[in-house]
Amino acid sequence: MNSELRTFLLGIVGVPLCLLGLFAAVYGDNTGAMLGLMAERTPTLLTGSPDITSLDGGFLANIAMSIIAMAIAAVGGVILGVGLIAEFSIVRHVSDVVMNVLRNSPWLVVLYAMLYLLPFEVEIFGVYVTISPFIKSVIGLSLPVAANIAEIFRGGIQAIPSAQWESARSLGYRRLQILRHIILPQALPLMIPNLMTIYAMLFIGTSLVVVTGASDILSAAKVIIATTGSETASGFYIYILFLFFLFAFPIAILTRCLERRIGSVSL
Amino acid sequence: MTTSQTSPLIEMRNVRKSFGLFEVLKGISLSVNDGGVVCIIGPSGSGKSTILRCINGLTPIDSGTIRVGDFSVESLRSDKKLIPLRHEVAMVFQQYNLFPHRTVMQNLMMAPVQVLRQNADEVRDRAEKLLAKVRLTGKESAYPGELSGGQQQRVAIARALAMEPRVILFDEITAALDPEMVSEVLSVVRDLAAEGMTCVLVTHEMRFAEEVADEVFFTDRGVIVEHGPPSTLFKSPSDPRLKDFLDKVL
Ligand SMILES: Nc1ncnc2c1ncn2[C@@H]1O[C@H](COP(=O)(O)OP(=O)(O)OP(=O)(O)O)[C@@H](O)[C@H]1O
Ligand SMILES: [Mg+2]
Repeated sequence: MNSELRTFLLGIVGVPLCLLGLFAAVYGDNTGAMLGLMAERTPTLLTGSPDITSLDGGFLANIAMSIIAMAIAAVGGVILGVGLIAEFSIVRHVSDVVMNVLRNSPWLVVLYAMLYLLPFEVEIFGVYVTISPFIKSVIGLSLPVAANIAEIFRGGIQAIPSAQWESARSLGYRRLQILRHIILPQALPLMIPNLMTIYAMLFIGTSLVVVTGASDILSAAKVIIATTGSETASGFYIYILFLFFLFAFPIAILTRCLERRIGSVSL
Repeated sequence: MTTSQTSPLIEMRNVRKSFGLFEVLKGISLSVNDGGVVCIIGPSGSGKSTILRCINGLTPIDSGTIRVGDFSVESLRSDKKLIPLRHEVAMVFQQYNLFPHRTVMQNLMMAPVQVLRQNADEVRDRAEKLLAKVRLTGKESAYPGELSGGQQQRVAIARALAMEPRVILFDEITAALDPEMVSEVLSVVRDLAAEGMTCVLVTHEMRFAEEVADEVFFTDRGVIVEHGPPSTLFKSPSDPRLKDFLDKVL
């Protein structure tokens, strides 16, 4: 049995058991009834609505935000990353400053900044578009992630020996052609594990968007706890931990598999 | 050629190049005739690789002139302007520098198709002939990592030839090879030289230089100390630095 599979099985069984143990330790004799309450409220936690009539809240909103923010960050990150390795030193320096500012800003601070910096609505070609908390959250999350992706991009490209650039140049290739035909195809596989790690971080980071007023899983939990009482709060938060774990852990394991595969290819 | 006084294919005149404060080339002049085979020998760090890199414009020079055929290399300042030169001047490196993510066949075909925009089918025909020439028929779909060093270097030579160059620059192409693979690579170069391909070789294989070269240049600390036909240069060196060098390497 390979080591990732063992870690996976251990984690996917062990961590829920630990959380269950914690749950039982908190609620003692009430554990059964509390688990029942959790099950009853699961649709609301997952979708934001008790009868699953809409799918734009709860845990699904966290997943949706993470995917959209990742897509935006990927585009922004590649553009910034090309800036980081640009031939002109001014472009390089500006990109470097932008990248460092964004990468070193606490995500929560960026989200708060979005809340106060972005207007309530904007006019695009005469049409007023409301910037919902959801959009603010997505933009706020994608900024630091884009900076991280830019850095991953630069790292991946610089991991390819300069001799590859040189032999391509001696064959008449130009800079962008070299990037596209020779460097990126080799660098992309190296970047994938890091990209997955940053995605997992982004996904976990979506739990911060509650500060923007977006209806994610935490805001759904807050609403529920307001009716079920504060003594149920621990149970709900343990349950939410479990849900995040279920989503993020397989990504982490897959990342490790890929890292090993890539390592063995380049050896 | 109707005149006996043909002008050389490559002509470097008084080429200087510094990296920062360190002057690597201190007025290099050399010429290579069309179809000629020239070897450059000299101690490590004397500027041999830099000379080759200046000839195909990989390293821009500070002063002097370099002419290759009709191109005045020092005036080609962008990679785009350098494309026609790189079509004529190919280079083979010590570490092969094949593209590891592409098969042997793709390594040969990429630049002619993507850079020179030649027809893929024609390039493939040519590439197959070149693989036969370097005795690697059957390895078309192998990846560089699956080949021995000697085989990779022969692929690199075939890749250079696929550009249909007038000149090939060889930079210590056997220095990274296990001894038993040196001869298979050298025999490919020997064939090329015999067919009249213009070759400039930086090499530590003195016997090979003696055998194939029309002229040998000895460099030391950025200057050409002595040059001439191999018979005189190796048998009766006049400069003490060359004598010293030959004592060490022979
Ligand atoms: N891009 C560069 N930047 C700074 N210094 C360089 C650069 N390229 C070469 N040099 C220096 O120039 C000198 C000559 O280098 P070069 O590679 O031409 O020597 P060489 O004769 O080919 O040596 P070797 O036999 O070791 O390959 C060396 O001292 C080297 O450190
Ligand atoms: Mg060298």
